[in-house]
Amino acid sequence: MKTKILLLTGISLLALLLGIALGSIRISPAEIGHIIGYQLFGLALPNQMKATTAAILWDVRLPRALLAFTAGAALSVSGTVMQSVMRNPLASSYTLGVSSGASLGACLVILFGGSLPFTANAALPVSGFVFGLLTIFLSLGFVKRLDGYMSNNTIILVGMVFSLFINSITTLLSFIERDHIERLLYWQMGSFSLKDWPAVWILVPVTLSGTIWITHYNRELDMMTFGEEQAMTMGVNLKTVKLLLLVLAAALTGASIAFCGVIGFVDLVAPHIIRKIFGASHRVVLPMSALFGGAFMVVCDLTARTVASPGELPVGAVTAMIGAPFFSYLYFKKTKKD
Amino acid sequence: MKLKKRIVLLLLTMNIALYATGCASAQATTQNIQTTSDIITQDREGNPITLPETIETIVSMGPSNTEILSALGMADKIIAADTYSTGIAGLAEDIPLFSMMELDGEQMIHLEPDIIFVTGMSKTDSNDPFQIVADTGICVVYIPSSTSIEGIKEDIRYLAKVMNASEKGTEILSEMEQEINAVAQIGSSITDRKSVYFEIAAAPGMYSFGSGVFLNEMLDIIGADNILADQESWMSVTDETILNQNPDVILTSVDYLDDPVADIMSRPGWETITAIQNNDVYYIDTDSSNRPSHHIITALKEMAKAVYPEYFE
Repeated sequence: MKTKILLLTGISLLALLLGIALGSIRISPAEIGHIIGYQLFGLALPNQMKATTAAILWDVRLPRALLAFTAGAALSVSGTVMQSVMRNPLASSYTLGVSSGASLGACLVILFGGSLPFTANAALPVSGFVFGLLTIFLSLGFVKRLDGYMSNNTIILVGMVFSLFINSITTLLSFIERDHIERLLYWQMGSFSLKDWPAVWILVPVTLSGTIWITHYNRELDMMTFGEEQAMTMGVNLKTVKLLLLVLAAALTGASIAFCGVIGFVDLVAPHIIRKIFGASHRVVLPMSALFGGAFMVVCDLTARTVASPGELPVGAVTAMIGAPFFSYLYFKKTKKD
Repeated sequence: MKLKKRIVLLLLTMNIALYATGCASAQATTQNIQTTSDIITQDREGNPITLPETIETIVSMGPSNTEILSALGMADKIIAADTYSTGIAGLAEDIPLFSMMELDGEQMIHLEPDIIFVTGMSKTDSNDPFQIVADTGICVVYIPSSTSIEGIKEDIRYLAKVMNASEKGTEILSEMEQEINAVAQIGSSITDRKSVYFEIAAAPGMYSFGSGVFLNEMLDIIGADNILADQESWMSVTDETILNQNPDVILTSVDYLDDPVADIMSRPGWETITAIQNNDVYYIDTDSSNRPSHHIITALKEMAKAVYPEYFE
C-alpha cells in the first residue's frame, strides 16, 4: 500500500511539472529556472529573454496548471463523497443539480451582468458558486419535506428533477438572449485558459480545507458505504453527517465550476479507479482521489492546449476522450483478474 | 447536459458550415464563366436552378445576402429574412424573421416567395432543410458565405444578375474596388509593417483566423501582417501563441462583451505584449468585419486607421 501511495504521489507531481514545463511554446528548463528565480527571489532575468516568455510561464501556464490540478482534485474528492454517501456508483454533484444551478448563475451574470456591484471578473464565479450551492440547499430542503428519512433514492430523484428544471430555465433564457449564447457556451464547456493568480489563491485553500474536513469523516464514510441501517446500528448520527458531507462535496464542485466552468467525467471516474487500486478505506481513497484527479486534469488540460496548437480544444471534451478508454482499460482489466 | 450537447452541436454545424463554405468559395473563380453567360442555370454552389420569370418577392436568409440585395435597391421586395438581417437599410420593419438554425418551413412555404436566397449555414451533409421548400416549386438559391474578397465581388455580381440589376451591381463593385485600391496604395507603401492579432471571439475560447479568410486579405491590404498568417481558415488560438508572437496591434470585433477592449487589456500576463503596452487595442465594427458583403469597406477603413493612424486619415 505504501509503495502504491508513494508511486501515485510521484506520478502526480510529475504530471504537474510536465503541465508547467510543456506548452505550445517551448521554454527550456534553464529559462524556467531563471523565470522562477526572478519571480520568487528577484534575481535578474537574462538579457536575451523576452518579457513575453516570462509572462507565458508565470502568468499563463503556472496558474493554469495549478488551477487544473486543484479543480481536478476538488471534483474527484467531491465525486468520491457523493458516490459513498449515496451508495450509488453514478451519483455526483452534477446529478444533484450543482452544475445546472451554477450554469444558471453564470447565465444570469452573462445576460444581465452589467448592473452588478462586483467587478466583471468576480461576478461570474461568485454567482456560479452561490447558485450551485443554492440549488443543492433547495433540493435537500425539498427532500426533507418529502421524505423524513432522506433516503438516497429520493435525494437523487429530486436532484435530477431540480437539475432538469433549472436547465430548462437556462435554455430558455439563453434562447431569448441569443446574442450571449456563445459566451455561455464557452463557460459551460469549461476552460483553464487565462485564469489569473487570484483564482488560484482562492481555489487552492478552499479545496485543501474542504478535502481535509471531509477526510476527517472518513470513518463515517466507510460505514455509510455498508448501508444506512448498519451505519445507524454503529451509532453514526447519519442525517447530520450526511447533510454536512453532501454540502461540503457540493461546495467543492461549486468552487471548481465557479472558476473553471462545467468539467465532467473526472468526478465520476477518479473514485472508481482509486477504489480499484487502493481498496475501500476512505482515509486513503479521499487523498488519493484528489491526487489522481488533479494529475488527470493537468494531463487533459495539457492535451487540450497542445494537440491542436496554436489552437485549443475545450478541456471538457478532452477529459472524456482520454478518460473513457483509460477507465475501461483499468476497470475491466482489474475485474478480470479478481 | 442536454442543453450543452445541443449548443455544442450547433457550434459544430456552424463550424462545418464555415469549412464547407471555405471549400465552396474555391470554386468561385471557376464560376466566373457561368455568370458571364446570359442565362443563369446554377446557384453559387453549383446546384442547377431555374429562375422565375420575374422576381417580385424575396426571402433572404443571411445578412450578407440581405445587405447586397439592399444595396441593389431590392430591399422593398424582401418579404422575410433571417433574424440577423434586422436593421439593414431599407428592410421593412414588420416582416417575419426566421432563425437560421431552426427553420420554419411551413411559414416560408406559406409566404410563397418567388425566390429564396440562403447561405448554406443551415445545411449539413445529409440534411438540406430547404429541400422541402424547394420541393414545393419555390426557387432556392444557395450563396455560400464567401471567404475571399474576390468571392464577395462574385456574390455581388451574381446577385445583381439574378435580380436583373447588373448596372447597379457594377456600380457597387467599382466603388468597392476604388476604395480598396485607395487603401491598398497607401498600404503597399508602408515598409515598417506592424503585426496584428485580430480577435473575433473573446477568451475563453479565443477565435481568430489565418490565411484564406477575407479579413486576412484586408490586413494585408492595409499593410499589416496577421500573426496567424501561416495558419489556415477560421481557428481557435491559445494565449501562449499570442504572447509568443507579441503583436504590435490587437483588433477585436467582439460585440457580446460590454467592453471587449478592456477585457483584452486586463488579461493576466498580456501587459508584456507590445500592443497592450502602447495601448494599441481597438474595436472594429462587428457586422461590417464579419459579414462577407461590400460593407467590408467600412471595416477595412476602420482597421487601416486603427493600425496606422499616421498614414490613414
